[in-house]
Amino acid sequence: MERAVPLAVPLGQAEVFQALQRLHMTIFSQSVSPCGKFLAAGNNYGQIAIFSLSAALSSEAKEESKKPVVTFQAHDGPVYSMISTDRHLLSAGDGEVKAWLWVEVLKKGCKELWHRQPPYRTSLEVPEINALLLVPKENSLILAGGDCQLHTMDLETGTFTRALRGHTDYIHCLALRERSPEVLSGGEDGAVRLWDLRVAKEVQTIEVYKHEECSRPHNGRWIGCLATDSDWMVCGGGPALTLWHLRSSTPTTIFPMRAPQKHVTFYQDLVLTAAGNSCRVDVFTNLGYRAFSLSF
Amino acid sequence: MSSESSKKRKPKVIRSDGAPAEGKRNRSDTEQEGKYYSEEAEVDLRDPGRDYELYKYTCQELQRLMAEIQDLKSRGGKDVAIEIEERRIQSCVHFMTLKKLNRLAHIRLKKGRDQTHEAKQKVDAYHLQLQNLLYEVMHLQKEITKCLEFKSKHEEIDLVSLEEFYKEAPPDISKAEVTMGDPHQQTLARLDWELEQRKRLAEKYRESLSNKEKILKEIEVKKEYLSSLQPRLNSIMQASLPVQEYLFMPFDQAHKQYETARHLPPPLYVLFVQATAYGQACAHMKSSSQPPRQDKTLSVAIEGSVDEAKALFKPPEDSQDDESDSDAEEEQTTKRRRPTLGVQLDDKRKEMLKRHPLSVMLDLKCKDDSVLHLTFYYLMNLNIMTVKAKVTTATELITPISAGDLLSPDSVLSCLFPGDHGKKTPNPANQYQFDKVGILTLRDYVLDLGHPYLWVQKLGGLHFPKEQPQHTVIADHSLSASHMETTMKLLKIRVQSRLALHKQFASLEHGIVPVTSDCQYLFPAKVVSRLVKWVMIVHEDYMELHFTKDIVEAGLAGDTNLYYMALIERGTAKLQAAVVLNPGYSSIPPIFRLCLNWKGEKTNSNDDNIRAMESEVNVCYKELCGPRPSHQLLTNQLQRLCVLLDVYLETESHDDSVEGPKEFPQEKMCLRLFRGPSRMKPFKYNHPQGFFSHR
Repeated sequence: MERAVPLAVPLGQAEVFQALQRLHMTIFSQSVSPCGKFLAAGNNYGQIAIFSLSAALSSEAKEESKKPVVTFQAHDGPVYSMISTDRHLLSAGDGEVKAWLWVEVLKKGCKELWHRQPPYRTSLEVPEINALLLVPKENSLILAGGDCQLHTMDLETGTFTRALRGHTDYIHCLALRERSPEVLSGGEDGAVRLWDLRVAKEVQTIEVYKHEECSRPHNGRWIGCLATDSDWMVCGGGPALTLWHLRSSTPTTIFPMRAPQKHVTFYQDLVLTAAGNSCRVDVFTNLGYRAFSLSF
Repeated sequence: MSSESSKKRKPKVIRSDGAPAEGKRNRSDTEQEGKYYSEEAEVDLRDPGRDYELYKYTCQELQRLMAEIQDLKSRGGKDVAIEIEERRIQSCVHFMTLKKLNRLAHIRLKKGRDQTHEAKQKVDAYHLQLQNLLYEVMHLQKEITKCLEFKSKHEEIDLVSLEEFYKEAPPDISKAEVTMGDPHQQTLARLDWELEQRKRLAEKYRESLSNKEKILKEIEVKKEYLSSLQPRLNSIMQASLPVQEYLFMPFDQAHKQYETARHLPPPLYVLFVQATAYGQACAHMKSSSQPPRQDKTLSVAIEGSVDEAKALFKPPEDSQDDESDSDAEEEQTTKRRRPTLGVQLDDKRKEMLKRHPLSVMLDLKCKDDSVLHLTFYYLMNLNIMTVKAKVTTATELITPISAGDLLSPDSVLSCLFPGDHGKKTPNPANQYQFDKVGILTLRDYVLDLGHPYLWVQKLGGLHFPKEQPQHTVIADHSLSASHMETTMKLLKIRVQSRLALHKQFASLEHGIVPVTSDCQYLFPAKVVSRLVKWVMIVHEDYMELHFTKDIVEAGLAGDTNLYYMALIERGTAKLQAAVVLNPGYSSIPPIFRLCLNWKGEKTNSNDDNIRAMESEVNVCYKELCGPRPSHQLLTNQLQRLCVLLDVYLETESHDDSVEGPKEFPQEKMCLRLFRGPSRMKPFKYNHPQGFFSHR
């Protein structure tokens, strides 16, 4: 069978290492800048890359437009989650959360503004922070991850106010339900829990793996990603990526993605971005149709 | 007689002698003496006008008389006859007058004509004279112009300028007093001086010639003397040989080598000089510094036939003689059988790929007494160098099946520098030469001619700028010198790593992963998964595998790499590992791609943990390098794969829907089984605590 083989470029040690890194790279997190022109992506090596969305989406986009504007080493471990406030980029990975100024981050040699570590119970191993969530009404940040708790941190003072317990295994993802300030969290135990922030208690639990339409036992029961639009919720992971109606707690649409999804976002109700296990960020315009991919 | 003379002149004029003259007629006063009567003279005296009047009167009288006669005749009568007779006599007289007048008229006419004629003749004579004179004038003018245009030869001679002349010429030639005033004399003087100078110079020339002859003779004599000296020196050298050997200073041997080196083509010569220098420098460094540095012995030798090399530069006259002979021979042979086009092309190819008869041999000795023999050749028409390599070891090697290509002369030096596969000619100008004789690529001939690696060209001082054919590329010593040390080091590392692999493969084929004691700390004490198979596969087979496509697409699986397949087993689980071994091992790590067959087929495209396992051996290879010179990388990677398989199988979450116990009970100590959004298994081994954690 004839197959077009790409020319083997004479590769020195550095180029081979770079190629291997790229082949084994996973992008765990992403965040759009407050102005909407830039996208920050974090990978498993602890690097953050800033892409120019305006350049990549413009009509004159070339190959170079799809390369990062700047890349820097943010954490020692993987950058599992990132979120943007109106001025800051918050990134979290192995146990601590760091803040970066968006205006500074585009320049080379940027340093973090601050870094905080929530109070962990175990000291043997530093648990990872898998999800960050901003609650604008309280001006606080919610962190969740390896220690199975949701921690709330006040952004002004930097103190940790609440610790919500309920999950039996580590938490993968968080989502905020605007209207009634509730937080949704999905975890390795296969449940999506809804927490009321005012009373700091769990109000609803959806055990996704128990629903036959979406469960995939061979993948496991873990919930990897979560996004909500107050009435609707989309979640996926071990079970298939599904759109749920929250009031009735019923699954409505199941998306045809073979691999377990890691990250999903509603963007203006039209674009869903979901990152799979590769060094690419897939951009979907019109639900279900993949337009192009940004590459590290 | 006047009548005769007048007859001579004018025969028409009939003269009647003795005609009686009438009273009216005037006779000339000037009657000439003599017997003749000249009417010419009479003409001069008579007035033509009166004669004309007379003529008219006579005519009138005649008319009257005729009229009277007519009247009388018509009247008739007796007296008439006498009247008529009278009148008749009168008219006769008139007739006589008329005749005279006629004669006179004729004479006048004749005279007039004569006069005109005479005048005309005179005019003609004057005219001729005028023409003669004009002709003479013209002639004289021509002569004058000729004289004026005359250039004397002396004007063509470049004479020295006046000032110089007066300065230099001796006074007896220049004669200033005379010549200053008289330009003619001055020119003469200058010409004299010119002649004088020329004579002097001719004299000098003769003298110089004779000098030259003398000196030439002297040179001859001295040359003879020197050539007689040469055999004496040779005999002294011979006599000194035993002394040299006694003192361990093999000057003669080195000298002989240098002698042979003179016949080397420039790139080989550069290589020879630089390699010898490097070898000497290393030996020198080793002896002077304690502890000894790199234990390397580099020996350089020249092989080949010097006579053939000399034959390449035969002088043209000899070759012409040969040519004429060979032409004669060729004609004979062509009569018998014409060589076919294919044979001719073949001959042309052979000619183009001809090697220089001399070659340089380098022997690199490594620590473990294995030797890398390198023979460098120079292809004259292509202006490139090639090398053939051979590795010999102190003890006989039993080659394991999978290690066939490791030390083969064809591939042992492949890609010493990234991309330097040695299958293409580095000289861009060669492409045009190849087109002429129908050679597609040098790849077909490398087995025979040796590999034209780029580092070989650099060692020979040849530098070919990329894709730009140059007319002549000359061998550059500085280029060779700057590359010598790094190339020698790389060659040594290459040989040693290949030999290490050789040994390791022998062990791998028996299912044992040879982990050295100083690398044991990287792995837990108990490793259950076992390597059961280690084979070499070909490039095409590697590309056909379904789980290696991303490596191929990333351009990491070229045809210069070596490919292997390892099989690790534990229980029912079979892990296939496709290995890409870059010729630059171990600075460039081997690349693994895994395919696990256990409860379905799992590769990196459908299982993140397989991806993580690959990452553990591919990306984190630096931990597995072991002590320098990191020959243990491959074996450590294989051992780690066994450990990773153990972890994978033991930490696999039990699927509730399937019945039965877990096939692999968890024996490894792990803090957490899953971590992070990707739910990774704990693949990282922590020494010395001995538990597994996540990266």
